[in-house]
Parts: sequence; C-alpha cells; structure tokens
Amino acid sequence: MNEPIIKLDGLHLSLQSRAGTVDILRGIDLQITHGQSVAVLGPSGSGKTSLLMVVAGLEQATGGSVNVGGADLRALDEDGLALLRGEKIGIVFQSFHLVPTMTALENVALPLEFQGRSEAFEAARELLTEVGLGHRVQHFPAELSGGEQQRVAIARALSTQPQLILADEPTGNLDGETGRQIIELLFSLHRRFNATLLLVTHDEALANRCVRTVRMGDGHILSDDLVSAA
Amino acid sequence: MTATETETIPPTTTAASVRTPLALRLAVRQMRSGFEGFIVFMACVALGVMVIAAIGGLANALVVGLEHQGRQIIGGDISISRMHARITAEERAALDGVGLTSETATMRVMARTLGGEEQSLAELKSVDGFYPLVGEMKLKGRDNLDKMLADGAVVEPILLERLGLAVGEEFQLGSAPIKISGVIEKEPDGLLDRLTYGPRILVSTALLEQTGLLKPGALIRWRYAMALRDDGKENAEALSAARAELKRQLSTGGFTIVDRTDPSPQVRRTLERLRQFLTLIGLTALIVGGVGIANAVSNYIDRRRRTIATMKSLGASGRTIFSVFMAQILAITLVGIAIGLAAGLAIPSILKALYGDVLPIPPVLAISFGSLAAASGYGLLVALLFSLWPLGRAELISPAVLFRDQVGQTSAIPRWRIIMATVITAVVLLVLTIFSSDTPLIAAYFTGGLSLILLVFYGLGHLVTWIARRLPRAKTPELAIALSSIAAPGGLARTVVLSLGAGLSMLVAVALSDASFVKELTGKLPENSPDYFVLDIPRGEMDRFQSVVSGQVPNAKLQQAPMLRGRIIELGGRKVEEIKPPAEAEWVLRGDRGITYADQVPQGSRVVKGDWWGENYSGPPLVSFEADLARMLGVGIGDQITVNVLGRNISAKIANLRDVDWDSLSINFVMIFSPNTLAGAPSNMLATIGLPDDLGVAEEAAAMRALSKAFPTVTAIRVRDAVDAFNEVFSKIMVAVRVAAGVTLLAGALVLAGALATAQRRRILDAVIFKALGATRRRILTAHALEYLLLAAVTAGFAILLGGFAAWIALTQVIDIPFVLSWPAVLQALGISIALVVVLGGLGTLQVLRTRPVLYLRSE
Repeated sequence: MNEPIIKLDGLHLSLQSRAGTVDILRGIDLQITHGQSVAVLGPSGSGKTSLLMVVAGLEQATGGSVNVGGADLRALDEDGLALLRGEKIGIVFQSFHLVPTMTALENVALPLEFQGRSEAFEAARELLTEVGLGHRVQHFPAELSGGEQQRVAIARALSTQPQLILADEPTGNLDGETGRQIIELLFSLHRRFNATLLLVTHDEALANRCVRTVRMGDGHILSDDLVSAA
Repeated sequence: MTATETETIPPTTTAASVRTPLALRLAVRQMRSGFEGFIVFMACVALGVMVIAAIGGLANALVVGLEHQGRQIIGGDISISRMHARITAEERAALDGVGLTSETATMRVMARTLGGEEQSLAELKSVDGFYPLVGEMKLKGRDNLDKMLADGAVVEPILLERLGLAVGEEFQLGSAPIKISGVIEKEPDGLLDRLTYGPRILVSTALLEQTGLLKPGALIRWRYAMALRDDGKENAEALSAARAELKRQLSTGGFTIVDRTDPSPQVRRTLERLRQFLTLIGLTALIVGGVGIANAVSNYIDRRRRTIATMKSLGASGRTIFSVFMAQILAITLVGIAIGLAAGLAIPSILKALYGDVLPIPPVLAISFGSLAAASGYGLLVALLFSLWPLGRAELISPAVLFRDQVGQTSAIPRWRIIMATVITAVVLLVLTIFSSDTPLIAAYFTGGLSLILLVFYGLGHLVTWIARRLPRAKTPELAIALSSIAAPGGLARTVVLSLGAGLSMLVAVALSDASFVKELTGKLPENSPDYFVLDIPRGEMDRFQSVVSGQVPNAKLQQAPMLRGRIIELGGRKVEEIKPPAEAEWVLRGDRGITYADQVPQGSRVVKGDWWGENYSGPPLVSFEADLARMLGVGIGDQITVNVLGRNISAKIANLRDVDWDSLSINFVMIFSPNTLAGAPSNMLATIGLPDDLGVAEEAAAMRALSKAFPTVTAIRVRDAVDAFNEVFSKIMVAVRVAAGVTLLAGALVLAGALATAQRRRILDAVIFKALGATRRRILTAHALEYLLLAAVTAGFAILLGGFAAWIALTQVIDIPFVLSWPAVLQALGISIALVVVLGGLGTLQVLRTRPVLYLRSE
C-alpha cells in the first residue's frame, strides 16, 4: 500500500460567524501512510478537531483537496460520505456518543448492521469480550461507567475493521488510570487490526506513543515530526 | 455629639425590593431567558380557555338575544296557546282586559296545484287584523300585509318552487282555491310557531274559515299574543301581575303561557344544554392540553436542574425552589389565559358577522363575566393540576447533581403535601364541572368517562414502551432504530398515545355513532313501518277513506286511531309545575301530547302490569301509561292523571302499564284512555298507510294525489321524508359535534408538537451518530418514518377500540339501536392519526437531516 490513506492538499476550512468569516484551517498539507499512528497536538482553537472532522467527512472543506482511503471527499455527497465512514473509518469521540437507547451489544453491532452483515451480533459480542466487557453486553450506556462507555465506543469504532481510526481526545472525559487503560486498549487494537490511527490530543505523553507528531497552531501545521520508524 | 453626627445614612437597597417576596424576585430573574419551551404550554391553556369562553359567550349572546327579542319572538308581551279549541268569548274578555290581543292559528296542511299534479306539506298560519302586534312582516317588494291577505295568501318562496307556481296563480288549500298574492321574506315571530319542516303559508282568519280546515278536533294550535298597555311595556312588575291574573282567570283552560322575559323556555333549555355539552368538550381539550403542560414543566425543570442544584447548595430550601418555579408557572398560565380570553371574546363577534343572518335568534353580544370567569377558572385549575407534580419533583433535586452527571430524567414521587394539593385540585375541578351543570349526573358521567379514557391511554403509552423494550431485535437496522426509539424512557410513545388517543377516540365514537344512526334511520326502517301518516281524517269519513285507499292500492295496510292533543296538568296527585322529572322523561310533562282512546290493546303495545279494560267498559275513566316513562315519573297502577283536552280537565286512574315498540313506527301513544273517557270529545282520526314494496314511485304518487283530491283537508306526511329531514338536522348536529371533537384533537396535536420539539435535540444527536457510523439519509428517514407509522397505527388502533366500545355502549345500552361497524370511520381515524404524527414528526426529521453533524458532536 504505497498510496497514502490520508492526503490533504492546501486544505482550507472557513466558517461564517456573526463577526465575519473565520478561517479554521489555512492551507493544510498532510499525508499519512497506512498503518501509521499519528498524534495531532495543539492548544485549544488550533484547528486540530476541525482537521479530524474534515478527514471524517463530518465537515466539508471550503478549499483544497481531501483524499481519504482513495476517495475524494469533496466529490462525495452526504450519503457517499456516510458509506465511506461505514466501510473505512472508525471514530472514537471524547464524549463517547453511544446511542443511549441501545445496549452495549447493539451499539457495537450497529455499524455492521448498516453494512448488512448477518454476523453483526456475533462479531460485536467478540469485540466486547476483547475490550473486557463480555459480561456487560446487555447494559445500557447509562448503566456503564465512563471508562466502560469509552471501551464500548472503541469496540464500535473497530467493529467494521476500518482502515482508519480517528480518535478525538479519547481520554478527555476520563480519570488518569482509566484513561491510561483506554489508550492501551486503543493502541493494542490499532496494532492488531493494522489500522491507521489519527489521534487528536493535547497530552504530550500520549502523543509520544505515536510514531509521528503533527503540531498545529492557528490553523496551520507548525511541525511534523517522525518520532520513530513506522 | 451633634445632630449631624447622629444622622444615619439611608440604606441603598430599595424598600421595594426588600418588600417583594424572594420567590418572586428569583422568578423574575429566571424568566430573563424568555418563554422558550413554554409556547406549547401557553397554546394548550389558551386553546381550552378560548373554546370555553367562546362557547359561553355565544350561548349567552343567543340567550340574551332571545330575551331581548322576547317581545318580537312571541309577538307581544304575553302569549297563550292551546290545541284544538278556539278561545271562548269569556276567555277572550280576560285577554282583552290585559291589553291589545291578536289571534293566530297554525296547523299542518297539504298545499296542492289546482289539478292535483303537485302537492307539498306546508305550515299554515292564519292571522287577524291586529297581527303583528310587535315587529314587522317583511314581504318581497315591501308589499302591505293587510292588502296581500285581503287578496289571498302570502307564501315562502320554496312553496312556489315545489308547486311550480308564481305570484298571482292559485293553489288548492283544503277545499278552497287560494290566490298567491305575495312572498314572505321574514316572519317576525316565526321561531315560536315552527312545527315541522314545511314552507309557510300565511292567510287571514276569514280565508282559513273558507278552506274547510277548521273542523272540531283538527290539529290546530290557537295562539293569542297580547301587548300590554303603555304602562306595562317596560314594567316588569306589571308584566308579572298581568301574567298571574291571566293564569288565575284561565286556570282550567289548558293554556300554555309564556311572556317576553322567557319567550321560548324550550329553546332556552336547548341552548343551555348545548352550552354545557360544548363546555365539556372544551374542558376535554383543556385536559388533553394538560399533558402538554406537564411535559413543558417537566422539561423546564430538567433544563434548570443545575440551577436548582446551585441554588440549593447556596442555601435555598425546597419550599423556596417550589415557590420560585410556581410563580413562573402561574405567570405563564395567566398569559395563556389572557390570550385564550381575548380570542374567546372575539369568536362570537366573528361568527355573528359571518353567520348572523342565518341564525334564527339574532345574538346580542355582551361580555359574559360568568363565562370568562368559568373559562379562567378551568384554565387555572388544569394548569395547576398538571404542573404540581413536576414542580414537586423540582424541590427534591439534590445539590449533588453538580458533582455527578445524571443521564436522563430521574422519576421521583413528590412530597405528600404536593400529592395532596394535586388531589385537592382535581377534586375542585371535578366539583366545579359537575355542579355548574344543569344535569350534574351527565356531567359526572362525562368527566368520569374522560378521566378513565385518559388513564387508559396513559397506561397504554407505558404498555407500548414496555412491549417495544421486550420485542426481539428486528432484522433490519431501520426497524431496530425505530423500536429502540419507541422503547426509550424519554421517547415519544407515551406522549403520542396519550395526546392523540383521547381526541381520536372521541372522533371514532362520534363517527361510528353517526354511521349507526344513519343506517338505522335511512337503511333499516323496520319492515312493518308505515309509509305515510295521515292526519285530520274526519271520524265519520273513515270508511270512505279506507275504500279510497284500497281502491288505489289494494294491498295497502291501514291502521287508524282517534287522535287529540292534551297537556298533563296533574300527575300522581301533584301539579306538573311541582314535579322535577328526570331529563329523559321531561318532554312528557312539557307542552301538548298526542292522546287517544281504544277498547283494545293496539298493535306494537304489550300490557306488562295491570289489566286492560274490557270492551264496552263504562266505569270510571281509566288510562294506560307507557311503562318506562311511568317508572321515570314515579307513577304506577292506581295513580291519577289529569289532562286538559279541548279546554277541559279530564282525570283518569292508571289501570295498566304498557311496553311500546316505538321502533316499529306503528300508531302508539304514551297515554291511551278508556273509550268512555274521550269518545264524546270531537276528534279526527290518525291513520297510517303501509304500501307494498313493489309499488312504483309513479303509482305511489298517483295514489296519494287521488287521496288528496278525495280528502282535501287531510294532511299526509311521508315517513321517509320526515326521516330524511331529521337526518339532515342530525347530520348538522353531528358536524358540530365533530368540530368540537376536532378541538380535542387539535389540543392533542399541540401537545405532540411540543413533545417532538423537546425531543428534537436528542433525535438530532442520535441521527448525527448514525451518520457518523455510516447510515445514509435514506436509512435515517426510513427509521423515523417507521417509528411514526408504528406509533400512529398503535394509537389509532387503541382509539378505534376504545371509541368503538364507547359508541357500542351508548348505542346498544342507552339509545337501544344496533351498533354498525363503519369502515370509513375506522379508516378516517387511522388516516388522521398517521397524518398528524407523520406531518409533525416529518417536520422534525427534515431538520434532523439538514443539521451539520459537527455542531452536535463538538458541543456534547
């Protein structure tokens, strides 16, 4: 796989506000190869989460090109973006975003059901067991702790064995020890599934676990360092 | 120390703010965020209050109009009337002592073309030279009434259409040809005299005497309107004195007396009943809206959860919290009531502007403070009833909320004093509803039934959620998402079922009852019911009548009975004025009744108690009474009844009680006297004619024309025409009832809209997550559509069952006609339910699909 899984050329993102046009991303060039783990660091307001949202197809770029998994995101409509996410991208949110009216098992099975996979629930059960929640499959999110909810979210993100995992401050709502456990889990699964991991964080120690660190500031990439060989 | 040094500096806090209660101050600060979330609350209160205020205002305007127009409606200050017998000279002298008197007579007649080709049932009225004492008869072309009546008859335009005649041509009335000399535009006292549905013919008394219709025993009502002398016109005391004097002087005459202050007690009672019934409907809409009120308050408290926790952590007590939020709720309730009252005041004016000319009574618009107070009281009580429980939960919110995320709503039972306050409010509302009604028992049944329906739908909503939670996982993700939404604790199921269920049930009950009535009246007239009722056949001509009928239609079935009209004066030893009968039996004691005499039990009657008198019975006067009515009026075998017939009081003892099959429409009477009681009284015969089923329309018409020609003074009423006319009136009433039920549905739709708006944020977030996981818009749309369709179908299903059951009970157990399942009624309920849920829900779904996901993913 020589083709990068993420290729951003001159990416611009501007939003309209009452105060006028706000440039969130100002000409981002970035390429990420398959299987890499990349941390995006930066202070609040640097544009790192917006970058993640554009790569996920949840935000439309206003300039430049966005190529993810071989697809030009700017050429896809909303349904096309949804299908791409279902096939190739798994997202882990800071606030978990589990469906509160579905059990842990149903949450994890959902992306597989969207793909029409008949073995959705068996696969979901296995994943939940793998993340240490085999005994909690029938519990609703409200009945799980924060750490457990994030484990379910990680299992859900990986249920379709995506090529790309996007994680937005995955430990932001968790305490220190729980957060460490979650990160361990995330990285082990990233290695196991050989998926590319793009991780947004403000935690330097966490960033050091990735092979590459991209620093952002004021909508620009300030530095892009390879910490170790991929 | 100097005076200056001892001066104190005045406090900077304003005295006003110190005097304003803390709860009020805090409430005002809370309301700085505006009324967001309370639009539906105010709309629900306003709708119910508007309906009640409008109904009260309109009914009041009609009743006041009736009173203000009293003189015009009865044609004078006092009016007396009786059947059959014209006033005697002695009685006339009593009237002339009161004031100027005008004599009119009204009866049903057949009007025919001279050749007999066309004929029409009509309402004939003869007037004397003093008519009208009050008001003006409006004729087309502003013609002079006296001049027109001297030349012939003035008629309503519809008679000209039916007979195919024009002004100047002649028509047959009784045995006389009469010239049509003019056309009536408006009759000043028409409201009082309308007997059935025929067009009006107005003639002079002299012309009536030429028609041969004035025969002893004829079904003619004589009315005498009196205008008091000048000093009595506006003087209430003089009016009362004159009425009392007339009653004393004419006590044995069998007259019905009304005066200008209450010109038509029957119309007034009908208006009052209608007002009470429609007020109950308005109250139903208000109570259904109460669900929206409860939802709005609950959601407001949930949004203010952290604020409440903060206030408590700073030292606010539970009572303070309760007071702060109660003050806000009361303020918003008052705004809703004000809007409702303003709209309710405007509606009678709008209706008068649009339909004022069509109403038989010109409404007199005036602010009815009673109606406004009632509407406001109901609005306040319902708002309190549905707000107390969620407000009671507010004071239980713990400050710990600040330190711990609480996902979803925690249900808690409020403190005992809140529960008691809720119960007391409910009881006060119930008592107010029941005892402000003239028929407390019916009001009690209504409110009891409504409470039951709401409780049932509340339970059904929970049942739907419970079942959805326990269903096996659906095979398709769209259906799975729909079912999990329905199963969600804060889902739409309970609100949809409760808010729409009551209104839909009412519509279904009304539609099914309507269908059953129409089927019974038009499609299922009993096999043996007659085709014609024929009135005023001279007793001595009965044999000739029978031979004419059998000559025209050999297989015709004929029944006959003598018929007079009389008024019950005393019952079981008590004067009628002292008796308070139950509503179902009231009609027997008011006004004239048809009575007869017979030596055998008539067809369609069955003696159930006592004994029938033998043939040629010659003992003391006896009477047979209808069994059900006797039971309701509290009389039985051996009790005395006094009836005024032809101006004479006749007393008889109840000898037996009968069950009557009224559905057969064969000749039957509430009271049948022994022949020796009334045989000497001048009376005409009533006959029914049953025609063979295979008789063609042309042959039937020819037979009836021949009958009319042979008996020009009789009146033939076609039963199917009478049923059709009743059906037309009934349909109009059902339209009004449907509109009223529709108001309840509108309240339900408001509640549903509010619930959807509240759930919107959650639904958008769910949809955003689904999109992030790979769901296309089509999948999300399908999931929402399935959810709406399922909820709508379930709600409609429950409504059809409950409404159908209510209709079945009312029809088979109360009214005693068969229940007919009408598929159009069923489908209509289903269609309305689906349309409301899908349209309102669809608007929310459109917004969901258009929302940028990132807005919700960041902020959560």
